[in-house]
Amino acid sequence: MQLPIKVDEQRPEPLYHQIESQLRGLILGGQLAEGTSLPSIRELAVSLKCSAITIRRVYQDLEAEGYIRTRQGSGTFVADVGNADRREHRLSRVAEEMERAVDAAWQLGCTEEEVEELFRKAVLRRASSRKGGENSDA
Amino acid sequence: MLEREDGRLAVRMQGFLAGTEDFRLGPLDVMIPRGTVTAVIGSNGSGKSTLMRALLGLEPSRGGVLQVLGSGVGPGGDESYKVRTGFVAESPHAYENSMTVREKAEFASLWYPNWDWERYRRLLALFDIRDGVKLSRLSKGHRRKAELVVAMAHDPELLILDEPTSGLDPVIWKVWLDEMQSFMDSGDKTVLIATHVTEEVKRLADYVLILHRGRCIGLYEKDRLFEEWRTVLAEPAGGRPDAGALRSREGCAKVEELENGLYRIEWSATAMPEQDAAMRACGFRPLDSRRLELEEILARITQEEISNTSKEEGSVEPA
Repeated sequence: MQLPIKVDEQRPEPLYHQIESQLRGLILGGQLAEGTSLPSIRELAVSLKCSAITIRRVYQDLEAEGYIRTRQGSGTFVADVGNADRREHRLSRVAEEMERAVDAAWQLGCTEEEVEELFRKAVLRRASSRKGGENSDA
Repeated sequence: MLEREDGRLAVRMQGFLAGTEDFRLGPLDVMIPRGTVTAVIGSNGSGKSTLMRALLGLEPSRGGVLQVLGSGVGPGGDESYKVRTGFVAESPHAYENSMTVREKAEFASLWYPNWDWERYRRLLALFDIRDGVKLSRLSKGHRRKAELVVAMAHDPELLILDEPTSGLDPVIWKVWLDEMQSFMDSGDKTVLIATHVTEEVKRLADYVLILHRGRCIGLYEKDRLFEEWRTVLAEPAGGRPDAGALRSREGCAKVEELENGLYRIEWSATAMPEQDAAMRACGFRPLDSRRLELEEILARITQEEISNTSKEEGSVEPA
């Protein structure tokens, strides 16, 4: 199975960190449901061009955190992750993205009021274009 | 404790010396764990093939310890590890020229107790080979494929491959890569592969063994090697950064101010967190980083080795 994980060699974080946080994100975000079978260590290493040592470390970390479990002989699977964890992950991801946008606004010299105003407008605009998108899909 | 450690090693070399008058290999001190893929890299004449052959006892040992799959190699050694090993040599054996692929396989089947004809036929089909053809009649790539099939048909514990894919077309190369992946999947197989193909190192290797002029420069964990040798683009974190202080940090090979006010910082052989800490301490904020290509790392490592060697040699010269 191919996992939607992308390693960016230009990013200044270690490989295992990139892979681990993306895989954790896929599990918490619900893209990988409970019981989904994960690729073997070697398979994932070959596809991401990293060493099996790195993938083993990622799997061990995520197993210790309770996100995946390994059954002897049959492979590695996504574990049951509580809804509370999922919600928390979703919200913290969104908060991260918003903070990034706020940082950009500071850098461009916006005031707090302007940022809030822009945020409200962005929500309205997106909400209406999303509805429009759904209609045209139907 | 030591014994248990040894059981987990596929190859153990301690002060191992091999070679002839013309070419000396070693001393090598290398421990390769089972269940891993090690790429042996180095320029022509670095000793890759000599090492591969030495592992099979095909090069005269000149001292030190060499153990493969737990057996000592050399005079008085236990040769049983060889039937659990598969080998593809650098160049085909001329004495096999008049044999057909099938005859080569039959010969090998007598030698390897674990020979598996079913596995052999599966690999033949996979690599698209007809085994009634004489080896001398095969193209370079086809002969390579035939050798790979015969080396893997007994499902060896250790696979020693000396530039196994030279002459393979890209489609068959991918087939071979997938086969290597499933070969390694059980987790207890070990592969040593001498190669000049960077993509093979990236896809397969866990460790990289670098040889230079018969000497071992080091055995590196691949991902760490790529992290430790990199070029970072950084901006001043506020105020004027201290380039001089950063230059004096261990592993910092170069700090260069660019026209746009950014800095290019080259790192070698330094753990990533240490690099980051050093840059921040000296007033730099990393923005972007670029890994060096394997060829660049190899060139720089061997360059360093050469300058260290000449320094050492210089210091023992009589005053």
